[in-house]
Amino acid sequence: MDFTMILPEECQSLIMSFTSPADAFRSAMVCQALRSAVDFDAVWEKFLPSDYKSIILGSSSPSSLLSLGMKELYLQLCFHPILLQNGTMSFQLEKGSGKKCYMLGARALSISWGDIPHHWTWTPQPDSRFPEVAELELVWWLEVKGRIETRILSPNTKYAAYLVFKLKIRFTAWFRERPVTLNVNVDGVVSGEGRRVSLDPRDEPRHVRERGDGWMEVEMGEFLNEFGDDGTVEFSLKEIDTRYIKRGLIIEGIEIRRNA
Amino acid sequence: MSEVDMAVIKPEMMKSYIWLQTADGSIQQVEQEVAMFCPMICHEVIQKGMGSSKNYAISLPQRVNPAMLSLILDYCRFHQVPGRSNKERKSFDEKFIRMDTKRLCELTSAADSLQLKPLVDLTSRALARIIEGKSPEEIREIFHLPDDLTEEEKLEPLKNTTDDPRIRLLNRLYAKKRKELKERQKLKNVEVEEERVDDRSVDDLLSFINGDNGDSKGIKTSKSKKKNRRRKDQQKNTSANEVLKTHNKELNGLNSVCCSAEVGQKSRGGVGATSNLNDVEDDIFTSKNELDDGDIDDEIDPALKEKIDREVEDFARRLNSDWPERMQEILSFGHERKPVHFSLNGNGSLRRYANSEQR
Repeated sequence: MDFTMILPEECQSLIMSFTSPADAFRSAMVCQALRSAVDFDAVWEKFLPSDYKSIILGSSSPSSLLSLGMKELYLQLCFHPILLQNGTMSFQLEKGSGKKCYMLGARALSISWGDIPHHWTWTPQPDSRFPEVAELELVWWLEVKGRIETRILSPNTKYAAYLVFKLKIRFTAWFRERPVTLNVNVDGVVSGEGRRVSLDPRDEPRHVRERGDGWMEVEMGEFLNEFGDDGTVEFSLKEIDTRYIKRGLIIEGIEIRRNA
Repeated sequence: MSEVDMAVIKPEMMKSYIWLQTADGSIQQVEQEVAMFCPMICHEVIQKGMGSSKNYAISLPQRVNPAMLSLILDYCRFHQVPGRSNKERKSFDEKFIRMDTKRLCELTSAADSLQLKPLVDLTSRALARIIEGKSPEEIREIFHLPDDLTEEEKLEPLKNTTDDPRIRLLNRLYAKKRKELKERQKLKNVEVEEERVDDRSVDDLLSFINGDNGDSKGIKTSKSKKKNRRRKDQQKNTSANEVLKTHNKELNGLNSVCCSAEVGQKSRGGVGATSNLNDVEDDIFTSKNELDDGDIDDEIDPALKEKIDREVEDFARRLNSDWPERMQEILSFGHERKPVHFSLNGNGSLRRYANSEQR
């Protein structure tokens, strides 16, 4: 006796909807019956965030996205981030859990001296999802800040923030053995000094890693989002020892995604 | 005799009972309030007037065997009592679902056919917890499922979404839009850059330091710098190499100057010299920046590059130990680079010329 003989497909898909996207993908590998039960719209609509419709309508993506099947829409949102807020922010889903994942583009960040071409320039990069990235020409005072409202994040989720960046090959000397301070603050609650990390992958092979999309990332910190009522979370990158110059950093943005 | 009369004749039967018949033919009577907790039974009684006697017993769906019916009625008997607290109900539920997987499946099916949603949810969640985190093989084992996927299907965990023509079109539109945005941005940036680049000051600086022969070379290099952003050219690479060599020489020259500047720091002349040197450093860095963009990069020895980087950096550190804010100030107030003329005085210190003739 197999349970797919006992249970009608609607029951099977109800059961699947109580699991997780990762479980659903695994279940699709079990047998034909489960594979088709997993395909039901009801299952994937449950996995999508409850406000998915308004997010899509508020994005730069066509609203025809909403006419896709729920599973297709889910996968689309996992693999193709959509742009929000005039192309300064991106949104996608984490495939295994369905949790929301945002990236604040460089234009959405507060960069000290960022509007002065001597210090920072804004250029398009072919492997960036945003129209522009921030390129550091030269500063003594390196300070980059970002913020996000906890209410737009998935509830009951532990999140981590990652600086998404590159180092211009020529200038990797500038960050070699020169750690920067990375910090995450939830609604003004100062969570300590922040962490001192070098952005040069040669110094920190464990912390600075390749993302696989042409960029590197380094974790800035983590926080727990329970009910989305913790106000704003602030992220900062800071290195303001003005005895030495900083050059050659290219910032795509800050990604906020679920921390396993 | 009618049913109503029968009820009157048996006064000890104060409670009303509903008659139910399972697929195996057996009939039983159940307290009305308990049975009516199931929407399907409720419907049969109210809409069709069934269940009031043995002859009019309600036929339950096939999925409801006597064992399952018994369980369901236990559930209903507990929950239909209105006075219970949430805590009590939850506690009951947790104990209730402790049964083997097969029974859980049968119970889900039976409850579903009787449309008893709360029980369906309860058992479904319990089954979901069993499935969570298990591998496909484990799931197959627990639920006795056949291994009937094709080899192809096993390699493809997700239905290939790019096959859907709507999605392919969508992604093509995205790519197109992103490209357009970048093109527009690129055009904007190039225009802005061309306005701001002020090569002449840097060339003059270089030529001054290198002596007269640097003059024409410097200017040629600056033009090729701009063009190099767009195409590779062997000729320009070699000229860039030469500029770098002279760059190195400059550093050595400036290093010695720096020492004399430090010595003279206290005096007013020394202070002036230091600030000049800061500007020099700024311009050298910017020229270095321009050289390094584009395709020249590949031609230069990385070890040499790092060496230069470090030297320049040490130099900067020494210079900037006293002037951090001042530097930032100078750079931010002057949006154009200040063109600077230098000449070596007899005593080896640099003297700054006025920049009026530059423009």
